Amino acid sequence: MEFSHDRSGDTLVVNASGRVDGSNASDFLESLQGMFEPGDQKIILDLGGLEYISSAGLRVLLMAAQNLDKQNKSFSICSLTEAVGDVFRISGFDQIINVFPSVEDAKQG
Amino acid sequence: MQRSLHLSHPPEQGHPSDVLPQIENILKEMAETDDWPMTLTMRANLILEELVLNTLTHGDISGLTEIDLQLESKGHALTIRLIDDGAAFNPLEDAPEPDVTLPLAERPIGGLGVYLVRTMGEELEYRRENNRNHLKLVVHPES
Repeated sequence: MEFSHDRSGDTLVVNASGRVDGSNASDFLESLQGMFEPGDQKIILDLGGLEYISSAGLRVLLMAAQNLDKQNKSFSICSLTEAVGDVFRISGFDQIINVFPSVEDAKQG
Repeated sequence: MQRSLHLSHPPEQGHPSDVLPQIENILKEMAETDDWPMTLTMRANLILEELVLNTLTHGDISGLTEIDLQLESKGHALTIRLIDDGAAFNPLEDAPEPDVTLPLAERPIGGLGVYLVRTMGEELEYRRENNRNHLKLVVHPES
């Protein structure tokens, strides 16, 4: 997996690309958590470059979403490919995590 | 197109998840040859990762020595047959069903993998025969 992030005011946009599976899901969680700073209020995860996610990766997203929710921070995901969107729909994640078509939509949402 | 993969347990070296690139490569070749939609490639990878890693790492794996995976792609349907000599485990019944309608704060972290297999897979069949688990399912690009 590859990561980059862009912080503007209290908004953090994280780009995660590549594959997240049972072999690297714990690295994914560690990398994500390492990017959060106390001042971040709105966290947007751009998954436009994500090629594959298994249930191990979904668990990481769920943990991150629950963690940020407890801290009353906003967490959203954007730019899902059709295939990743299909997994989100079937797992019901699109009902518990805000999903937006683009980063711009997520920033306004 | 048909492909198969034979896995020995324990692996000669490395970690159980080292099998994932092998699965990925086989599916990539099938996807290119049979022109799969992206959703089928994703579903097939997800289901196989779940089933194979479950067999290799969860529950009683003391008697497990081999896993046989047979894949057959026709049109945009993939038939998966998985045979292993581990302890009896029926993923269709022996795992709890998570409630995917619970709100965020109450969603349990685990249990999602087998749920996805059951939901994305069709024509699911399990039988225990000759001390082996036989699992068959068909995956389509959409449901």
